Amino acid sequence: MSETIVESTEETAFLDLHKKFVEENKSSSALSAIHESALSRFEMLGFPHSKHEMYTYVNTKKLAATTFAVSNPSAKIDLIEKHIYSGCENSCLVFVNGVLDRSLSKLKDIESSVKISSLEEKSDTDTLLESVENENDVFACLTNAFCSDVTVVEFPDKGQVAVPIQALFVSTGNTSLPEMHSPRLLWKVGKLAEVKVIEKFVGMQEGYFTNMVQDWRVAEGAGVVLTQVQSDPFGAWNFHKTRVHIKRNARFHSANASSGSVLVHNHFEVRLEEEGAEVILNGVSVLKGKEQVHNFIRIHHEAPQCVSHQHFKNVINDEGRSSFDGTVIVNQGAQLTSANQLINNLMLSDDCHADNKPNLMIFADDVKCAHGATIGQIDEDQLFYLQTRGLSKKFAKELLTRSFAESIVQTIEFSEVVKELSNTLLKKLEVDNV
Amino acid sequence: MLEIKDLHAGVDGTEIVKGISLSVNKGEVHAIMGPNGSGKSTLAKILSGHPAYEATSGEIIFDGQNLLEMDAEERSLAGVFMGFQYPVEVPGVNNAEFLRMAHNARRVKAGEEEVDPLDFDELLSEKMKMLGMEKKYKERNLNDGFSGGEKKKNEILQMAILEPKLSLLDETDSGLDIDALRIVSEGVNKLRNENNALILITHYQRLLDYIKPDFVHVLSQGKIVKSGDKALAIELESQGYDWVTTAD
Repeated sequence: MSETIVESTEETAFLDLHKKFVEENKSSSALSAIHESALSRFEMLGFPHSKHEMYTYVNTKKLAATTFAVSNPSAKIDLIEKHIYSGCENSCLVFVNGVLDRSLSKLKDIESSVKISSLEEKSDTDTLLESVENENDVFACLTNAFCSDVTVVEFPDKGQVAVPIQALFVSTGNTSLPEMHSPRLLWKVGKLAEVKVIEKFVGMQEGYFTNMVQDWRVAEGAGVVLTQVQSDPFGAWNFHKTRVHIKRNARFHSANASSGSVLVHNHFEVRLEEEGAEVILNGVSVLKGKEQVHNFIRIHHEAPQCVSHQHFKNVINDEGRSSFDGTVIVNQGAQLTSANQLINNLMLSDDCHADNKPNLMIFADDVKCAHGATIGQIDEDQLFYLQTRGLSKKFAKELLTRSFAESIVQTIEFSEVVKELSNTLLKKLEVDNV
Repeated sequence: MLEIKDLHAGVDGTEIVKGISLSVNKGEVHAIMGPNGSGKSTLAKILSGHPAYEATSGEIIFDGQNLLEMDAEERSLAGVFMGFQYPVEVPGVNNAEFLRMAHNARRVKAGEEEVDPLDFDELLSEKMKMLGMEKKYKERNLNDGFSGGEKKKNEILQMAILEPKLSLLDETDSGLDIDALRIVSEGVNKLRNENNALILITHYQRLLDYIKPDFVHVLSQGKIVKSGDKALAIELESQGYDWVTTAD
């Protein structure tokens, strides 16, 4: 059956931008193959319309209609130090406008234990090509089409990295002509390795679109603790897709703290491929003004005895908007699966909005799966109780909203990150008036 | 200390308290008893400043101030403490930290400096020792997962920290076994002095074996129908409420 693909101007603009990108960047043949495949896939999928499942709750029209320049990786960056967490001073990969900048990165503590390279091995290229060919997220296709590099971070079997590793993504921004950055990473965690990573997204000013894709390959028995801190200015878009493949008895624990922006989209695709694999995904967002955070999660239980837990909390004020679209798919044969999914939304204004779509698709018959979603305001009984102990209404409200969000923040292993979030994300909960 | 004058009050447009007058002086313990539906809880809620309950007429004067014009927070800072029948659970707020916040709110009101967590911890430990309470009360979140008895004990711990002038304990004995009742009562008794006052709202007499009242008032259909001393409570125990409520 032949089809005429009618491209809108939005897609065409990106196709033209890609031609320019290819002319200005000399890519390896491996990378070029990925670019080409991704671009075709992008063309085939096209930007989402409102009925598109992945973006049902996410309005990407304005983003798609924006004219972008492809990032300028040689831009000068100041004040990197203030964004490097204590404890990561010698274990920080710095990405400027989506590209790893080795001169700014601090790698002394990890250079002997962690291999950081570009796309070299054919097996990695083949893996990435396969994922590109099957990519269902049109924005991830864009990342693969426009990435000027793939950063491969490899931990050897039984590797124990003594310090947490930070990946700092800094964007310069350009308010007159916004830039599109396409960080592309592949994390390979060897058997029985233990890895802790903190990712942080910041911008020097508004006017950029960080569109990232990262693959995690977690080998048998390995453990990964990932914390993501999204802290972009309002006038920046942040999309990132985290795809995780987990082997036998391996663990992937992730906590995401999002401050929101004009549009933030967190896409997690997790495959529990072998027996005993485990994933925990926690997330918290605090939204004010017109900030938005959208979480799109697909967890595939492909083997028996695997465990998945998701707990997301959103505090939404003013005209903030959030969505949670999470499906757990339990394949036939994935017996003794244990899957839990919980979303809690605290709505602080009449104009805020939260969409929730928890979903279970179960094809095995001996499983334990649960999901739940709550949307509510501050509990009036709790508020009154605190007031009868002498706390002002304002203070009591702040205490209750803070404690709501804090329960997820407290799951973050890194005390420095928790401390920072207390002064940034949680500070947004301070009430201006009663 | 407290003067209630012909109070009429209710909720959702229904009048439940139909003219209560009561005087409570320093150093006194008053017990308010009555059958279910007599208005005991409504009276407690009005005194604590619950927003859903409305006083339609009458006055409540506390220490020379018009209590009905004060919101819940102001009443607390003025020295009124309400021990709830069903204390609310507030998961996510640490109990010790909450007690410190409440204690500091009082200090700020009195023009004193706030205490830091370390200094407060000493004070808290001292009060907990006095009340015979275990360490877990510091570590857990406010009433979160507490049993009924533990919640009531936590109310008394709050009373010990906040040192109110007037404490109003709403059916503090309900849901407690005899041992818990004894421990809670001992705690309350330790906190009593000649400068503070206590109002016990209770359905059963047995609490009054432990906390001896100076005055007992019987509430029926929104009014005080009989007042007396401890002996009245004992009579109610043996004869029930009918003889008082139907005699009116």
